Formats: sequence, structure tokens, C-alpha cells
Amino acid sequence: MAFEYEKYLRMDKIPHLWCPGCGIGVVLKAMLRSLENVGWEKNDIAFVSGIGCTSRAPGYIDCNTLHTTHGRALTFATGIKMAKPDKHVVVFSGDGDATAIGGNHFIHACRRNIDMTLVVVNNNTYGMTGGQHSPTTPIGYKTSTTVYGNIDPTFDICMLAKAAGASYVARATVNKGKVLEKYITKGLENKGFSVIVATANCHTQFGRKNKMGDPISSRKWIADREIPLEKAREMKADELNDVIITGEFITDEQERTRWENYNHPIHEYTDAYKKIIEKAQKK
Amino acid sequence: MSNKINIPENYERWEAEIKIGKKEDTVTIGYWRDGCKGCGICADICPKKVWEIIEAKDKWNGQVVRVIDATNCIKCMLCEVHCPDFCIKIY
Ligand SMILES: Cc1ncc(C[n+]2csc(CCOP(=O)(O)OP(=O)(O)O)c2C)c(N)n1
Ligand code: SF4
Ligand code: SF4
Ligand code: SF4
Ligand SMILES: [Mg+2]
Repeated sequence: MAFEYEKYLRMDKIPHLWCPGCGIGVVLKAMLRSLENVGWEKNDIAFVSGIGCTSRAPGYIDCNTLHTTHGRALTFATGIKMAKPDKHVVVFSGDGDATAIGGNHFIHACRRNIDMTLVVVNNNTYGMTGGQHSPTTPIGYKTSTTVYGNIDPTFDICMLAKAAGASYVARATVNKGKVLEKYITKGLENKGFSVIVATANCHTQFGRKNKMGDPISSRKWIADREIPLEKAREMKADELNDVIITGEFITDEQERTRWENYNHPIHEYTDAYKKIIEKAQKK
Repeated sequence: MSNKINIPENYERWEAEIKIGKKEDTVTIGYWRDGCKGCGICADICPKKVWEIIEAKDKWNGQVVRVIDATNCIKCMLCEVHCPDFCIKIY
């Protein structure tokens, strides 16, 4: 049964501005199906973004939307959530937006475990500004600022989010839109900070410089590198070179009580803040 | 979401009687040519080769897609889910 995306779209803004075959469209669709899954009122949702190709996503969604400055989407979003803790706040960021210029905001939003959902569209580059390398460009790959091949090691955004304290963390690729939908839905439902990384193709910028300048070969490059988390857990670190590990990195209480998550959130931030207000008002 | 077929007027449409395994069914495929950017993802992802890329002089990258044979469709929804441009509706 076809999904009626029109219900959640600003149809006067469609077709969107993304390149033919750009992965961001697939992620946006997974988000809209997830909204239907959780059944929230459109007016109770605020979509927030920074700057970048990915950050154009909220502009197409028929909810409350806020397009802010590069890297600062999470700070604006935190402000909205603190002012209106009963509303739902969802953020779209690119890999540059979330982990380069906005890297500090990212780890601290995770640390606070504030009840928001962040979708990071990781296309391994700064798509919008001409394909510069980002903190997720794999070693050896060419970009407009690493013309002989990148030597900077990458962040694993999921590992980073998990270590920093996010309470739901998952990664899926644009080749598997239904899995993406499942993870985003679980992220929205989680009462705490959720990070869903969507590995996506930017064939126009990242692909073109690495002999995969069309959406099909860029999507295949992603598919060829995908390794499920369960399998990766059995593998040695040096076998996990230039791979994309997919799955749920942190989910339920059981996962959160594993020893390596010893500093994981004991509370959600707006709840804790509410208790502080009550405490202060008693005096 | 409602169960009735909801394909806008400006969509191209293909209807067919199909078989999914042994089960008989019908399919209606809606396709929005104006919105299509000819990326070819639907043609690549369809396990039954329902879609093909064709030339389109009016599009800036010179191509769009069309349904070759809707009777092969198994309603897996892969094309609908992965079209980045909201151009496919499968009922
Ligand atoms: C403060 C500031 N610095 C730099 C820029 C230029 N700029 C715009 S988008 C962008 C990077 C976008 O990369 P990413 O966040 O990965 O998004 P994508 O376009 O890949 O989806 C940069 C550096 C800016 N707009 N503002
Ligand atoms: S430049 Fe890359 S990320 Fe931006 S719209 Fe084109 S393919 Fe997508
Ligand atoms: S629903 Fe599946 S079988 Fe039918 S056209 Fe789409 S991809 Fe092909
Ligand atoms: S996936 Fe969508 S935009 Fe791409 S060719 Fe098919 S119908 Fe057109
Ligand atoms: Mg990017």
C-alpha cells in the first residue's frame, strides 16, 4: 500500500532541490513514514536543522520548522525543548554539521540525554559547499581538500554518541529504507537523546572524486561496505577497515547496563530540570 | 492511511493482474514523470525488472523511467521506498 507522503510534505516545495538520486530524499521519506508510525500531531513537532544539503530537509516538512546556522541545530533545538518539554523536537544534520563545526554541541546533547531525536545523514563529505573532507571521510578517499587521498582518521558517529551518553543509537544505510524507518521510529519513541546515522550517497561531490559519480555506483559502494554489528563484534579491529557497521548500537536497558556504558544516562534532561524547578520553588 | 487507491491525476498509471508466489493479486503503479529526475534507482533496485530508463529530451539529464511490464511486479515496495523524489506509488 502506497504511503501518502503528501500528508507530511509542503507540496509547493516539491520537487526538492537535491541532485537526482541523492540519498537525503530516501532518509526524508523514512522520517515521514516514522512520523506516521508514532502518530504525533504535526503541530506538536518541531524540525530543526543547521546548514548543508541535509539541513534543507525540514523545509519540505509540513510541521513547525527552524533552519538555523551551521553546526548549531542542536543548540536551537535544545532551546525549543527546554521551553516546550511536552513537544517533540527532531533534528536533521549532515556529517559536517553534526561532527565538525557542531561536534561539541553533538557530544553534549548526547551527554544530557535530552529527549530529542537527531538524524545524521552521513555522506562522508561537505556536499553543499563543494565536497570538502569531513570528520567521516574514510582514509585514502579523495575530496576537494584531500586531492591525494585523506589521511585523517574518521569518527564513528555511533560509537561517539554511545560513549557520550545518548540512549538510543543506530545506523542504517539508504539502501535499506525500511530498516532506516524502523530505527528512526524507535529513536522518536525513545524518551531521551536518540541518534540515527543514515549512511547516504553524495555521488555528486564525494562519489565523483572517487570513481562513483552516479547514484547507482555510490549506493553500491555503500552496500559493499556494510557489515552488521553482530558480525563486526566477532571480527578483529584490523579486519574492520573501510567498512560501514550497521545496526542498533545502544537500545534497551540491558544494553545500557553493560559495563562499558557505566556512565550512561540515569535521567532525561527536561525531567531532571523539572525536578530542579520544583525543588527551587519549595523554598 | 486509507486503503483506497490514491494516485493524483497528473501521474502516469499502469494496472495489472499479478501473481505473488501462488497468490493472485492486482497492482496499480503510479508514476509522477514531472517530478522524476531520472536517477535510475527504481530500475536498479527492482528485483523483477519492472522499470526501464528511457530517453527524455525535455529533462536536464536526458532521461526518465517507465514501466516495461507491470505483470512482473511483486509489490515488494522497494522502488516506492527508495525513489528519492516521491514519484512512485504502488497500490
Ligand atoms: C559558520 C559557517 N561555516 C561554514 C559554512 C559553510 N558551509 C555550509 S554547509 C557546510 C558543510 C555541509 O556539510 P554537511 O553538514 O555534511 O552537509 P551536507 O551538505 O553534506 O548534507 C559548510 C562548511 C557556513 N554556512 N557557516
Ligand atoms: S551535492 Fe551531494 S548531498 Fe547535496 S544534493 Fe547533491 S548528491 Fe545530495
Ligand atoms: S514494487 Fe517491487 S517488484 Fe514492483 S515495481 Fe517496485 S521494486 Fe519492482
Ligand atoms: S527512483 Fe524516482 S526519481 Fe529516480 S528514476 Fe525512478 S521514479 Fe525517477
Ligand atoms: Mg555531509
